[in-house]
Amino acid sequence: MSLDLKIDDLEVRAASGRVLLSVPRLSVAAGMCLGVKGPSGAGKSTFLFSLAGLGANSSGAIAWGGTDLMVLSPEARAKFRRHHIGMVFQDFLLFEELSAAANAALPGAYSRRARQAVIARKAGDVLDRLGIAHGGRTVESFSGGERQRVAIARALAADPEIVLADEPTASLDRKTADRLIEDLVRMVREEGKTLIAVSHDPAVYTRMDRVIEIVDGAIVSDEVRDG
Amino acid sequence: MNPLAPLYRAIEWMPVLAQDITVLVVLVMPALIVGALVLVGFRPFPLVRAMLWRFRWTNALFVLLIAVSVGLGVGLIAQERGLRQGTARAADPFDLVISAPGSEITMMFAAVYLQPSDVPLLSGEIYDEVANAPDVTLAAPIAFGDSYVSSPVVGSTAQFVTHLSPDLAEGAMFADRLEAVIGSRVDLALGDSFTPAHGVGDAAEHDAHAHVEYVVSGRMQPTGSPWDRAIIVPVEAVWEIHGLANGHAPENADQLGPPFDPDYFPGTPAILVSAEQLYVNYALRAQFTTDRTMAFFPGTVLANLYSLMGDVRQVMSIMAVVTQILVTAGVLAGLVILTRLFARRLALLRALGAPGRFVFSVVWSYAATLIFSGAVLGVAIGYGAAALISRVVSAQTDILVTATLSWPEFHLVGAFVSLTVILALVPAFIALSRPVVTDLRS
Amino acid sequence: MNRRGFFATATGAVLAAPFIVTGAAAAEPQVRLRELYERDMSFTPFALENAGTRVAIEGFMAPPLKADSNFYVLTNIPMAVCPFCSSEAEWPNDILAVYAQRVVNVIPFNVKIITRGTLELGTYTDPELGFVSRVRLIDAVQERA
Repeated sequence: MSLDLKIDDLEVRAASGRVLLSVPRLSVAAGMCLGVKGPSGAGKSTFLFSLAGLGANSSGAIAWGGTDLMVLSPEARAKFRRHHIGMVFQDFLLFEELSAAANAALPGAYSRRARQAVIARKAGDVLDRLGIAHGGRTVESFSGGERQRVAIARALAADPEIVLADEPTASLDRKTADRLIEDLVRMVREEGKTLIAVSHDPAVYTRMDRVIEIVDGAIVSDEVRDG
Repeated sequence: MNPLAPLYRAIEWMPVLAQDITVLVVLVMPALIVGALVLVGFRPFPLVRAMLWRFRWTNALFVLLIAVSVGLGVGLIAQERGLRQGTARAADPFDLVISAPGSEITMMFAAVYLQPSDVPLLSGEIYDEVANAPDVTLAAPIAFGDSYVSSPVVGSTAQFVTHLSPDLAEGAMFADRLEAVIGSRVDLALGDSFTPAHGVGDAAEHDAHAHVEYVVSGRMQPTGSPWDRAIIVPVEAVWEIHGLANGHAPENADQLGPPFDPDYFPGTPAILVSAEQLYVNYALRAQFTTDRTMAFFPGTVLANLYSLMGDVRQVMSIMAVVTQILVTAGVLAGLVILTRLFARRLALLRALGAPGRFVFSVVWSYAATLIFSGAVLGVAIGYGAAALISRVVSAQTDILVTATLSWPEFHLVGAFVSLTVILALVPAFIALSRPVVTDLRS
Repeated sequence: MNRRGFFATATGAVLAAPFIVTGAAAAEPQVRLRELYERDMSFTPFALENAGTRVAIEGFMAPPLKADSNFYVLTNIPMAVCPFCSSEAEWPNDILAVYAQRVVNVIPFNVKIITRGTLELGTYTDPELGFVSRVRLIDAVQERA
């Protein structure tokens, strides 16, 4: 299934009624790496969470491959995320008391038994490719770069078509950040996944196929790069 | 009324053990059903373990709170049963006691538990009448009043010693006026001799019987009663050293034990009566309930005390149950606050697409784990407390009180777990209603 | 009994409980204590027919001989009201030895109770308590009438 993104008349409001984000129209082809840049508080993260079906007070349509998240129930959206979307966050959000393997295989905890083994295998495979040892050690002692790699393995473990990353390098130093974004982009390209990464970091969006800029809740530029 | 009465009525035909197990199953059934419904298809335990470990000290405190409140209820029940069994076992050889009219409780404490008391004597005619009543198998005088160190010295007969201890642990029955059989915990050895004091405790006159020396001839088996500290001597000796007739006519002056001659019988504070025919006990009790005599079953006196004790225990049990529920409600309220600490993790799970029911099951399992651990630890605490108190009581009263765990405690704990794991659904619902994105970014 | 069989029984009993309640209550024949003996002290046809089955008997709990025991004596009339208005010869047919399922909580001697248990005939000497009885209720459960 090819999960192209099509947004129509998306509008997200704050509880006060103020418009936080307005996207009249946007299409992203499946397999594309899309960077989202813009100043703080411009609505980048709101945009990203809306794409995952986590937005509140929104109207319009966000369709992945024809499935409009906006008309789905919260449980149906959760099911869509479970099967099609992997997420990476700024501060990793790992379970500190669990090992790298257990963290990466977290999506297996709420999947059917048959799928559990597949997820665990995939998580281990990604960890291997990212050079993370996944013995019994808990991630408490891991460095930031190692943690974010575990988070990437978790995002890819359920083999989703889409990876959404929210400031994936913001908690890392320059050198680590560069290596991490390289790894992330390499992984999603190898597997032909769609990546949408929100970031301040030029090192992130210079590696993208296409970069949009959001300012004050609106897309102000849309640039396709030739890699 | 006991809400379980209809259930017990329905399963009355089963063996008692099966009844108790059935009741336990019925009591924990709600917990099992809720658990099954919440957990079906999920394995939240690795995450729950992680959360438990993350806040281990807070969790340990919660578990301890629950455990102490559960232990209170368990300990109460176990302690009451221990006291009942211990005092009943100690009174077991005393079916029917006849004495001068007075307080049954005072007399029971004096004759059965050897708590000294100044009581009037029964005459030789009465003793004769009791001893010669049809079907009486044992009519033993119990002549207390003297002591040696902390041991009461009681005058009675060889038959009475055999009644308390069918076989002696060592040595032989007294065969002579100045021989004595001692209780299992008396600090004397066979062949030791001692001089009794007149009276008991601080009021004892130590030189009143200075010219008398008993020799220990035998030792009884342990009975778990104050009689383990007693020294039993021939009643004739007690009479003689008090300067009284010795129960026998001058021509039989050397006789030991019954029959006694009413004309030379100085009196006894109490008579222990034993009869094999069931109705004879009741007949004698009626026959000797007169203006000169009092006849009572120590068993009845105790049973009445137990029913009082049971009422007190019941009131305290209700308080203990209320405490348990309040503590658990407090802990669950604490959990609602604690789940805010978990809020990011729970939000993460939901952002990754975990079903709401999975998140629900994580929070519930977490709460249920605390409750269950608290309940198990509470049983241990309750048992430990009861064992400790029992030891103290045994040491102070010489009545062997042993703490045991039995079905009522497990029923209580089962009901507690069922009730509280259902209450634990509340924090799980509350956790589920939190906003995902807000929690994720907090 | 093996474990599984036991749990199956227990669970089955729970599920069947509502039916047993009505069934069992109706099934136990209820008589007064006096109806176990003829005037000549032989057993009545009722007693003979129901030996070995569960019956319900009306009576009074005599003051207990033993504390914290599951043994007690059921009397035809409250023990203290008229213990010995009958002659000694009639005594034994006025009382019934009862071995309860559990330790008995004493019910005052003047409160009418119903005891349900398995009727057992024939002379028996209790090895522990030493009491002799001609007729007994065993596995009994008692409640205020």
